Order: sequence, then C-alpha cells, then structure tokens
Amino acid sequence: MTLRIGVDVGGTFTDFAVTDTRNARTIFHKRPSTPTEPHRAIVEGLKEVLLENTLSAGMVEALLHGTTVGTNALIQRRVGRVALVTSDGFRDLLEIGRQTRPKVYDIHEDFPAPLVPRDLRFEVPERMRADGRVHVPLDEARLTALAPAILSSGADCIVVCFLNSYAFPHHEERAVEILRAALPPEIFVISSTEIYPEFREYERFTTAVLNGALLTVIDRYLDNLTNEIRDMGVTVEPRISHGSGGLMSVGAARKLPIRASLSGPAAGVSAVLHTAKLMGMGNVITLDVGGTSSDVAMIRDFAASEVAVQDIGGFPVRLPAIDVTAVGAGGGTIAWIDTDELLKVGPFSAGADPGPACYGRGGEDATVTDANVCLGRLNPIALLDGRMPIDASLSREAIGRLADRLGFGIEQTARGILRVVAATVVKALRKVSVERGYDPADFCLFAFGGAGPLMAIDVAREVGIGMVVVPNHPGLMCAEGLQHCALMHDFVRSALWIIDDGSTDRIVGLCADLHADAVRWFGEEDVELARQQVTWRIELRYLGQNFELALPIEEERIDHHLVGELCDRFHALHEQTYGFASRSEPIELVSIKLKAAKRIETVANEPLAPRPAAAPGGTRPVMFGFDDWIDTPIYRRDGLAPRQKLLGPVIIEQQDTTVLVYPGESADVDQWGNLLIELQSENRP
Amino acid sequence: MNLNAIDVEIMRNALSSICDEMYVAIMRSAYSTNIKERRDHSTAIFDTRGRVVVQGESLPLLLASMLGLVEVVLEKYGDTEMRPGDMFISNDPYEGRGSHLPDIALVMPIFADGRLVAFVADIAHHADVGGMSPGSMSGGMTEIYQEGLRIPPIRIMRDHELVADVIDLILLNVRVPRERRGDYMAQVAANLLGARRMADFFRRWSVAAFEEGADAIIESVAKRIRAGISQLPDGVYSFEDVLDDDGMGTSDIPIRVSITVAGDQMHFDFAGCGDQVLGNINVTTSGLQASVLYALKVLVDPAGPTNHGIIDPVSISAPAGSIVDAEFPAATAARAQTCQRIIDAVMGALAQAVPDRVVAASNGANTTLSFSGVGPDGQGYVYMETVGGGAGARAYKDGTDGVQVHVTNTSNLPIEALEKEYPILIERYEFVEGSGGDGMWRGGLGLRRVYRPIDHTCHFGGQGERFVHQPWGLFGGRPGQCGRFRLIDETGNARVLATKPSSLAVPPGSALMVETPGAGGYGDPKDRLSEMREQDRRHGKTSSRIQYQPQAEPPANVRATK
Repeated sequence: MTLRIGVDVGGTFTDFAVTDTRNARTIFHKRPSTPTEPHRAIVEGLKEVLLENTLSAGMVEALLHGTTVGTNALIQRRVGRVALVTSDGFRDLLEIGRQTRPKVYDIHEDFPAPLVPRDLRFEVPERMRADGRVHVPLDEARLTALAPAILSSGADCIVVCFLNSYAFPHHEERAVEILRAALPPEIFVISSTEIYPEFREYERFTTAVLNGALLTVIDRYLDNLTNEIRDMGVTVEPRISHGSGGLMSVGAARKLPIRASLSGPAAGVSAVLHTAKLMGMGNVITLDVGGTSSDVAMIRDFAASEVAVQDIGGFPVRLPAIDVTAVGAGGGTIAWIDTDELLKVGPFSAGADPGPACYGRGGEDATVTDANVCLGRLNPIALLDGRMPIDASLSREAIGRLADRLGFGIEQTARGILRVVAATVVKALRKVSVERGYDPADFCLFAFGGAGPLMAIDVAREVGIGMVVVPNHPGLMCAEGLQHCALMHDFVRSALWIIDDGSTDRIVGLCADLHADAVRWFGEEDVELARQQVTWRIELRYLGQNFELALPIEEERIDHHLVGELCDRFHALHEQTYGFASRSEPIELVSIKLKAAKRIETVANEPLAPRPAAAPGGTRPVMFGFDDWIDTPIYRRDGLAPRQKLLGPVIIEQQDTTVLVYPGESADVDQWGNLLIELQSENRP
Repeated sequence: MNLNAIDVEIMRNALSSICDEMYVAIMRSAYSTNIKERRDHSTAIFDTRGRVVVQGESLPLLLASMLGLVEVVLEKYGDTEMRPGDMFISNDPYEGRGSHLPDIALVMPIFADGRLVAFVADIAHHADVGGMSPGSMSGGMTEIYQEGLRIPPIRIMRDHELVADVIDLILLNVRVPRERRGDYMAQVAANLLGARRMADFFRRWSVAAFEEGADAIIESVAKRIRAGISQLPDGVYSFEDVLDDDGMGTSDIPIRVSITVAGDQMHFDFAGCGDQVLGNINVTTSGLQASVLYALKVLVDPAGPTNHGIIDPVSISAPAGSIVDAEFPAATAARAQTCQRIIDAVMGALAQAVPDRVVAASNGANTTLSFSGVGPDGQGYVYMETVGGGAGARAYKDGTDGVQVHVTNTSNLPIEALEKEYPILIERYEFVEGSGGDGMWRGGLGLRRVYRPIDHTCHFGGQGERFVHQPWGLFGGRPGQCGRFRLIDETGNARVLATKPSSLAVPPGSALMVETPGAGGYGDPKDRLSEMREQDRRHGKTSSRIQYQPQAEPPANVRATK
C-alpha cells in the first residue's frame, strides 16, 4: 500500500497524479471527463494508469479527489426535492433573501428562485428570542399534524430552519426528532444548525437547503464510485476534498454534500501551499489561469486566506473556504470593442468549442490565446507538444478585424489585448491582497493553469511583485495538490458578546465545547492521537461593526492572559486593515473557530535528476514590447537541468503550458524543477 | 501624451480599482447599519473640473450629492486655497448641494507635480445626524433646520491633521456619538487610502496622461449614452403620476414629466409638478438629476460604468420652488419617496417609446420605519430601516416580489443581528399575498413585517408612499395594492395609521405592522398563461383576502399622452 493518488475531475479533462511513496516518484495521467457519469472517468482513468505502469489496485494507500457533481447539479437544478419547516411568519424568508436586486441598474435581472418552492415551505408556531428565552413554545402537535402534508409533497429531504437557532438550537433539535419519528426513515431530516451554526438567518437557511438538495445527488454518486472502486480491487475508501483545502471522508461527505461541492479551486491552492513549503516561501499569491477564467488566492505565513461566505449558483453559502477570487480572464476569453469604442476583454469566452480563432473550429472572435499566437509567444504551428496544430493566420485575421476598427497594427492590438486582460487579473489580485491590507510586492506569484505562466509577468510587473514561480506541472496542480491534503473539518461557535476581563471563563468554556466537538470528530474518523491537529481562530470586531477580523490563537494561550493580548492584536490588525484603530472602544467577540485536521507526513517531491544543461531547440521571432521582433531561443521544459540559469529573452515550452521570460530577466531551475523568474527591479515601481 | 483606446481602458481599470477598495474599506469598518449591512455609501474620483471620472459600486442618489460637493468646494476654495493634506466635509442640500442631511460627504484634493490634479471622495448615510428626531429621517418637520446638523463645505482635515474642533462640534450634535465617530473615521480613512493609491497611480501615469485619460473615460460613457438615446424613437412623451401626501397637510401632489427625444439628446421637463411642501419629501436639484440619470441609464445602458458622461447628452428643467427642485429651507430627509415617483413617471412616459424595457409602477416608495426608545437594559437606541415591496411587472416576466426598487437597493439587516442589537422582535416577514397587480405578467408582491418592542415602550416614525394611490399597471395590467401601517394592540385589534406617522408610542404588548405596496401588472390579465395561473394557485401568491374592484385603464390619476 504505497500509492497516493490525487484525481481532479474537471469539465473537460480528469487529471491523475500517482505518487509512489517508496521512491517519491509521481506519474501523471490525463483523460477526457465523463460529465453524465462523473465517476466513470475516475474508475477508467485509474485502471489505465495502473495498467500502464504495472501497478495494482491493491497498492492504493489513498485515493483523494475533488468533485464538481454538486455544483453542476445545482447549476442545472437537478437536485433533490426539499421541503422547509420554519418559524411561523417566515416561510418567505428564503425567497426574500436580502430584499435586494443583483444589479442596481439592471431591472430585468433577478436572483435565482429559491430551491424550495413556496408550496413546500411549511410554518410551525415556535420562536426563540435572541437571548434564549422562549417567545412562542414549539407547537409539537401542529408539527406532528403537518407530517402527512410534508410526506405527500414528495420531498426527499426536510430542512428545519428556525430563527436564533445558531445559539439556541433546542427547538430545531426537537422538531427534527419529531419529524424523524413521524416520517419514513428514507426521508432525510436535517436542521440549519447541524450544517453550520452561525448567525445571519438567510445565509444559514440557504446553506442548509442547498445541503439538503444535494443529499440524494451525492449519495448516488458516492454509491457508484465506491462500489466500482471496490470492485476493481482498491481496498481503501476514497476521500473527497472540500472548500477549505482539506479532505472529508465518504461518510462526512454524505452528511455535508455542500462542503464537498465547493472544492474546485481550493485544491490548486493546496498544491501551491505544499510546493511553497518545500521552497520555504511563506507569502505567495496564486494565479491559476484556465480557458475561461483566472482564480487568484493569497497565502500568508504558510496559510491560505479564508472567507466565511461564498456564492454558488447565485446562492450564498456560509461555510469556511479558501478565499479564491475568480475573474473571467482566461486563454479563450474574447476581445471586443464596446459601444464606447474602447477595447474590452471578457467576460465572455470562446470556451473549448469553438475555442480561439487559431483552433480553426469556426471561432471568429479574437481571444487572448490568439493574441499570444500573433506575438509569437505561443507556438504558431501547434500546441500540446505538437498534438494540436493551429493556424496562426486565423489569429491574425481575427485580431486584424479589431485592429482595423481601432486604427492600430495587429501586433499593437494583440499587445493591447494582453495588457487589458492582465489589468482585469490585477484587479482580482489587488482584491485578495491590497483590500486586506497587504502589499503584493511582499509576495511572490505562483503561476499555473495552462495560460498562467504566459500572463504572470505582465501581472507581476503591474503590482510590483519581484518573483514569479512556475511549478513543474502547471497544468496538473490540482491533481498533484490533492495528494497533499489532510482530512479536515471546521467547527464554529457564535458568541456575540463584548470581551472584558470577565470574558476569559466564557472563552475557555466555548473553546472546551469546540474541543469536545473535535474529539468526537477525531473518534468518528479514527484519527490516532499523535496525528490530531487543531488550529484556533477567534473573530472580533468593534461593538457596532458588522464585519469581523480573524486572529489565530494558540491552544496553550487560551488562559487568563488571552483577553488583553487579543485586544492589542485586534487594534493593530484593524489599523493595518482599515487605516485606523479605536483603542478605547469595546470589542465584540463574534465567534471562535476550530479547524481539526489529521496530520499527514509530507511527501517530499523527488528532486530532479542531475543532467547536463539543456540547449535551446531552436528560435522564433517573439514580440515582447511594442518595439521589435526578437529572435528568441526556445527551450523544452523537460530538458532543463537543476540549477540551470536561463537569461531572457527565452521561451520555455512544455506539454501543458508555455513560459515567457522577458529580455533582461532571468529564470532559475531549482532542485525540484520549479522555475523561478526574477523580475528586474527597474520594472517595479 | 496621446492615449489610445487600450491605455484608456487600463487607466479606467486602475482608477475603478481604487474606488472599489475605498468602498469595501468603508463597508467593513463602519458602524451605521445603513452602511455596514445596507451599503448606503459610495466612493468616486473626480477631475479638477469637478467631474466624476469613476464611481465605486453605488446607489444613484449618492452620485449626485458627491458631484455637488466637489463643485461647491471648487467654487468656495478655488485651487489656490486648497493644500495637500486638506479634506472637506459637507451634508447640506443647499450649501453643499447634497440631497439630504444624513448623507455625509467627504472630499480630499489630490496634488501631484505641485498642483491640484484630482479629488477622491466618499459619501455615506449615517444612522443619525442630530435634529428633532432620532435617526434624522422622521416626518413631522417643516424646515431643514429641524432635520439635523447642517454642515457647509468646511475642512475636517488641514495639513494632514484632523480638525478636532469640527469633529467635536459634529459629535456633540449627533446621537450615539461613539458609533458616529467610527463612521466618520471610516470615511476619513477611506479617503486617505484613496489618496495613497492615487499617489501610486501618479508614479505610473503622468498628470497630463491622467487629464487626457479622464476626458476620454468620461467621453466613453457619454458615447454609450448617446448611442443608447439614438435608438429611442424621436418624439415627445409625457406622463403624470401623483404622490399620496407630505404628512403635513398637502395631498395628491402631481409629478409631471414631458420628455423630448431628439437624435442623441434628451430633454426632461418637469413643468406642472406640485409646489414644494412643508413635509420632508422635497427634492433638491441634485436629487432630481440623480433620479433622471438613474432612469436613463436603466433604459439605455444598464451595463456601462457611471460617470459624468451620463450628464452630457441630457438637459433637465424644473420650476424653481417645486417639489422636484425645492428651495431653501425646504425639508428633504425623505426625498427618496419623490425620487421614486419621478422614476415611475419617466418609465410611464417612455412606455410608448420602449415598451420592452420599461416596467410598470413599482412599490414607488422607500417605505421607512424608525424605532427609538430606552430598552429594558436602560440603553437608549435608534433603529431605522427601509422595507422593499413589489417591483413592476416586465414585458416578458413577472415583477420581483419583496425587493428594493430603483434609487434604493439597500439590504435588510438580518433578523438575528437586529434582535441581538435592539430590544425589538420581528414576528413576521413575508409576502403580502394578492398585492401584485394582475396582468399577462403579474406585479411584484409587497412585504409584511411585524415589529414587537420587548418589555418597553418604543416610539415609531414612518414614511409610506403609494399608501393611497395604487401603483399603476401598463398595457392593460392591473394596479398593485397599496401599503399601510397598522398598530396592533394587546387584544390583537389592528388600527390603520396615517401614511407618515411620527413619534407614535408602541407600548409593551402591542406591535407595529407594515405592509408595503405591491406593484403594477403588465399586459392584459386574460393573456396570462394557464401554467402561470396554475403556479399562482399552487404558490398562493394571488389568493388575496382583499378583492379588487375592476378598474378602468388607465387609472384616473394617470394619463399618458404622446
């Protein structure tokens, strides 16, 4: 049992990274996805990769994968039928939402209709006050009497959502008990607080409803997957990645399918985290550029930034997740001229079909990829190691149409497209760094995804970043990253009280509750003591504010010194983030969060075997600035030797991406094969 | 310097990134519910001619108020009297060309190469700005002096130091000064942040490039708007709507508009609107401008950016001293009520020009409730909120139920946050069934919300509109239902209140109920698809307890002429 396998199921391709822990060697494999039967690609791909490398299914020690089954089901609304049981007077709350419209000036656009139609929302007399006093007792008789109506509604899941349950869940818990007793066992009954007990009713209710809607979807998927994997001889259960960059067991995913649905971009960030740790880089901004979008995230002090709420299909989901900002800027993103006669790039994309004009599949729009082809930055003959021939003249035609309207040359227009798309990505990058009080110049940029390394230099220059890292397999980062994820779960307790000298006992009490939760979870997941790992965060704000700031705390410091220390740290963080602190103001404790994880041994990557420094395989003319075509040496990535240094201008090609090194810059190959591109300081403001 | 279309787009991105950053900083660090949850704030960058170049995400009314302030600061101080490290503050609709007193605007001149080159500004709706009544929004006041502290354009920062005297004076005059200090600091910090980012900006771009770019960015928006106007059929389009009352004795106030579309230009004439009133629903010049520009943008370029370029192709005239162009010392706190009606009137007029883009009359209001008192814990509090209602039906789908419309798009405060912070319990928050006007497409439903003070007497003040005159339908669509305030006593008896009650006691055991107006339908009800009828029945959204009398179309108070 020595194989750790990461599987990233994407819309087009399913990627595999198989590491044999005996020699730390990683094998990669790629095959088309099977969107209608998502487990099929995993099973088939596994068989292929094991067979090709004469490995056996019995050797699989861990099978770790991220799935988009939940997200796709939500977007297509092919989900379970959910009924809502809520406090009397509030059945429309799910539909009212925040009583806003999505865009101020667009009176024709609406938020998506709630997943639970109005006739499936049932009210029951009950009401908890904010301080825990019972305003209206739970009417158990009425609830019991509702059961037949709920049953005949055809719902396969009942979600119980009561106001103020985040702090006082008794009514919700009792209602769940009553409904479970009154309904057949195959009908799921869940409560809002068991999904995530945080205040703000609309977000909590919606999160619980989405979770309820996905229960049957995930069950079906996991049944198929686990059965077929067992049949092929794999003896371990698969694990599923979730939005905070950790893994969950099959059992946990069946209970919390919504968590398993937010895993997408988080795995890539986990991969960067792993590589950055090996390289000793604590502060990193990640840039993952695919065909249609770019994902940007921030890692500080070896930890990825998190958010409390995310958008999924237009619904807010309140669960902790790695903070990934996505913008519509990828290789297939379309350049166009708006009614104001300015050049715009995105958010529309040519996707995979028809794709960029140069693919020759009938796409007539100029895309970012076409701009790169026009400038010689992308191979003008073929992509994917020659497996995909392209027609550069189609790129020139498409860009020429824009150039004519702008009155520019083709190269100038192509260069303009790349500058505009970089500006879009820069906005996202500033959002994850500058808006949180951090200067991107203090970070290095990890560029991956098929189009990331091409765009990275333009982006880095714009924000003053001095170092760009291109990992060894930029197109397979998610699959690779999954291998380094740990089993992980998040716990929260909302507090909402002012902290003062008397708060220590209450904080210690809350921490004890959370700790008990974690101990229970470690038990359920069979995590032995030596591997148990917990990290704590406490969220604070000035009394009267609405957004909290999170401070990490160490377990051993949860004692009587904590309060004073916390206040000082909070003032400082507030000052750093917002430019002012109010040192005489009372501070409110909003919540305490605990992340429980199973410590795993880091699989150190295999260093690159020593070999002679590679020579360029040829040259081609490339345009870097507005000025001239420069005859530029082309290197093969897989020929590069450890410690080899390349002086720009240079193009480095590999199967899954192309790397660009500007004139005057240099790229170093490190011992694992990562490329470190240092930007000239005069390029930085 | 010669910027091309690519440079301009990149500069616009860089500037809007600065505005967005300022916007988020205020939202996250402010105290007023209006700002932190409801996002009633905005940020912008101006050129030295006082033109807005880029604006952060925001509500239309705030744009006009910031525009006014920069203009006045330029007139009053000129570029000779401004120094690096200055920051100006104002809220006055007359001296500072704002739109009502609770909107506090701060503007900071930006210097480069030793001269004035730009301004950064922010504006936010504070929970209180002093005056006769907590929250500074209640009815019952007849002149601006009663509504709160008037701040003319003055310095709040000089030579990079806050002017403590000014801040002390302001804070002494507002309720809950502890929280308000936080709001002022959040706004000051955001401008300072904007100034730092502009300094970075000017390390990359020369002053000459910025000036040229600003012209081009403004012109690019003007181009979009002109292109949009050109697609409207030329002609003169008129409409008349009516406001319920001002709460101080004037009822049935006409709002009349005549719109001339000629090529790529538009003129909006408000001759025939009622005179300014004693009540606080008067609109000043900046509010009228904001309302017209909002409606225009919705109809011709909803996706484009907002800046001074919108104003270029448009002219507006209104009788001085009318309710849509009020003169000192008219009260203006609830000006949004009238702004909503101006927009409904513009929609009504242009229904014949662009029937597929307009909507029927929406809840036409900014239904406002304010509660104040001393809670059982001995702490005084002021809580104000606005409740959404029906949105007008559209040419191809139903109007949205229970939503903020037109000039306002502020979020509700989560009930769990509200109940934690204030001694009020929300007993119901639901749609008013049957309140949407019938039609081929149904008007949106109003909202019902019930407030119960916990163990104390609270004081209620409210602002309702379309509580008397129903929101009209279009092309045969029926009108939506009116709204109302009701006081429910201990025995459960409900008493209907005035449209704009002020300082009404709600004793323990009783509760205050609001039902906001629905919205008008679109198209003949007999053309409604049977599937939609079936869905209506299943969802119970039309099972009204109140049956409407069939009404002749158009309603008597609404006349559309071409």
